[in-house]
Amino acid sequence: MQVITQPKVYPVIVIGSGASGGMAAWNLTRQGIDVVLLDAGDKFDRSKYWTHATPWDTQARLAKGEKPETFFLDTKEQPYLAPNERPFALTRVWGHGGKTNVWGRVSLRYSDIDFKAADRDGWEIPWPISYKDIAPYYDQVEQLIGVNGGTDDSDVLPGSKYLQPPPAPRCGERLLQKAMGKLNIPVVAGRRANMTRSTRGFGPCHYCGNCGNGCDTASFFCSADHLLPFAIKTGKLELRSNAVAARILTDDNGRATGVQYFDRRTGAEQQVRGKIVVLGASCVDSTRILLNSKSARHPNGLGNGSEVIGRYLCEQIRLNARGYLPALEGTATRNDRGIGGEHIYMPRFNHRPGRGRDYMRGFGAQFWNTWSTWNGPQPGSDEIPGFGASLKTQIKRRHPAWFEIHPFGEALPYAHNRITVDPSRVDRYGVPLLHIDYHIGDNERKMTAHMADTIEEIVKAAGGVLVNYKRGDLDAMGSAIHEHGTCRMGTDPKRSALTAFNQMHEVKNVFVVDGSAFPTATEKNPTLTILSLSWRATDYLAQEMKRGNL
Amino acid sequence: MGTSETNINRRRALTQLVTGAVGVASMPLWVESLCAQARAEAHTHAAQAAVTASTWAPSVLTPRQNEAVIALTELIMPATDTPGAKAALVNRFVDHVLSTADAKERSEFIRGLTWLDDRCRARVGQDLAGATTAQLTDIVTPLAVEGTGAADDAPGIAFFRTIKSMTITGYYTTEIGLRQELGDDGRMVLAAFEGCTHPEHQ
Repeated sequence: MQVITQPKVYPVIVIGSGASGGMAAWNLTRQGIDVVLLDAGDKFDRSKYWTHATPWDTQARLAKGEKPETFFLDTKEQPYLAPNERPFALTRVWGHGGKTNVWGRVSLRYSDIDFKAADRDGWEIPWPISYKDIAPYYDQVEQLIGVNGGTDDSDVLPGSKYLQPPPAPRCGERLLQKAMGKLNIPVVAGRRANMTRSTRGFGPCHYCGNCGNGCDTASFFCSADHLLPFAIKTGKLELRSNAVAARILTDDNGRATGVQYFDRRTGAEQQVRGKIVVLGASCVDSTRILLNSKSARHPNGLGNGSEVIGRYLCEQIRLNARGYLPALEGTATRNDRGIGGEHIYMPRFNHRPGRGRDYMRGFGAQFWNTWSTWNGPQPGSDEIPGFGASLKTQIKRRHPAWFEIHPFGEALPYAHNRITVDPSRVDRYGVPLLHIDYHIGDNERKMTAHMADTIEEIVKAAGGVLVNYKRGDLDAMGSAIHEHGTCRMGTDPKRSALTAFNQMHEVKNVFVVDGSAFPTATEKNPTLTILSLSWRATDYLAQEMKRGNL
Repeated sequence: MGTSETNINRRRALTQLVTGAVGVASMPLWVESLCAQARAEAHTHAAQAAVTASTWAPSVLTPRQNEAVIALTELIMPATDTPGAKAALVNRFVDHVLSTADAKERSEFIRGLTWLDDRCRARVGQDLAGATTAQLTDIVTPLAVEGTGAADDAPGIAFFRTIKSMTITGYYTTEIGLRQELGDDGRMVLAAFEGCTHPEHQ
């Protein structure tokens, strides 16, 4: 007798283990649902983080042939395409936890100023949810991951109830804060996912400031530390590493039946079967997977009858203004590494009476006093004139006085800003490559002018001097690393791909839970909202499964 | 419309180039490109610099050019109450950065060094490696302030900006520069973060 082995059919397949996929796997497994989680990489090795290595430690280790962990995906391994005249700087992390290993940790709740923006100005589609729908999830996420911040709530930044104490401002931040007070420009403590108190058994931040290289003590939120181990402990999670998802497979009715993936080490093609697929591979990679999942029922890519998937890419505009505060020149060197980066934040204010300008949406800004890092000299030091002992003295005097201002502005969704896949250009597995075509328009240029006015006004009021500053310059497109919008949620299936619970309008057993689901970018950093929406979507998913609707 | 694969490392260098080059629009492109390369290499250079003094040899510079670079980097960042660029082995950093740079940038740097060496010989009858600090100061001073040099000084001005930037980057990423000179306490584990405690800043 011939024995035919049926492949195992998992209740849920999750693709990606960063903020969105990690949250989905954690929330489903704790509710007793079996999950297979595909991640394109492996676990990062904490012993190779080198977070406390001085430049000369680093040099000595390299000389011995040691290598630090490399988080970022090499474009030689996975190229992507862009028009020559419109480059896009894409940052991808393939490995357990994804970009949460090295993220900026800024955790700002969206408010109805964000969720209702399109209702007010009529540009593109509104969010299908409002603040009250997501607020309970923000509460839960903040308690789970440990966010620090002030009690300075406003219409822009609500909900400080569960925040841990923020780190004190550094000297330069105090002076900038005072100047902003004089100008009646709002400024609050930053809100960031560095634990300043022990949280769920994880020790608090030790203020080495090198969070961008990973954390030795898991004291800032990373999915690989704070979600995946707990999901594994339930016994309900099967985590497949180095599984590069290529396509979602469908049956004749167009429903998802599983995922085709490639083993990153061997290149071998694999398939896994499942009843439900949750996609959380990051905005651009989820979009690539959907667009590559073509079939007779889904000729434009999975669930893309509306042809919105891939369009409306919104990547925030940002810039990096730098200068120094003469009042701090010559002060004593302090250990000011803090939680790495800024300790104060300027919430959006252009909706306030008398502050409006001739553009839609808004921008916020992060501020910090940059001294005491292991990065060596501040780049503007080159501009100090002369050479010799006087130069050396001047560099030392100015070292404590440097600051940076990083505004982030909302970019509107435009249909022409688009991710596509190019069947003629494939990766090492034969899967079509991403093509990103992105540029900003007049609205963003007008906003950039307002950003510049604001920076110049604040720096002038603080008695500061901007160095290497060119009014109107923006960082390369993609530098914010906040891609959104290419698989957006909405109430109208003709204009959106997902429901308010991140479920595909056209394929009921597929959920997309990362930043691609956001109809707008807002000016805020998205991870806190990605975590909250993924938690909310998978609560809904679990409920629908139990009701037998999925 | 052409489409091409994106090389992210090159892009990062170009991003730095754009943000760093603002003040020096008059400079040739290679100047800021090489300075950016030095900043990118600042954390990796000791694959060379960590080897012991007796076994190190320059990989790009000739021995005499290396002596010239030692003299110029020490002129830019001299020993004072703390050691200078020579003690911090900044010349090795410069050589390493050149070894990682594009061939064109490398040759521009060498051309600039040769130009300055020629000027030094013409003015004081000694090459850079043989000149005194006072002689070097006289030769370099007109090149050190942009906009003040004679028109035919342009190659020297571009070169000096480059080696000055590389010296600053190299020096302040050593223990001498960061710990001894800038006074960083080096502590990487704090129980609490105090922030600013100056009454006058509150």
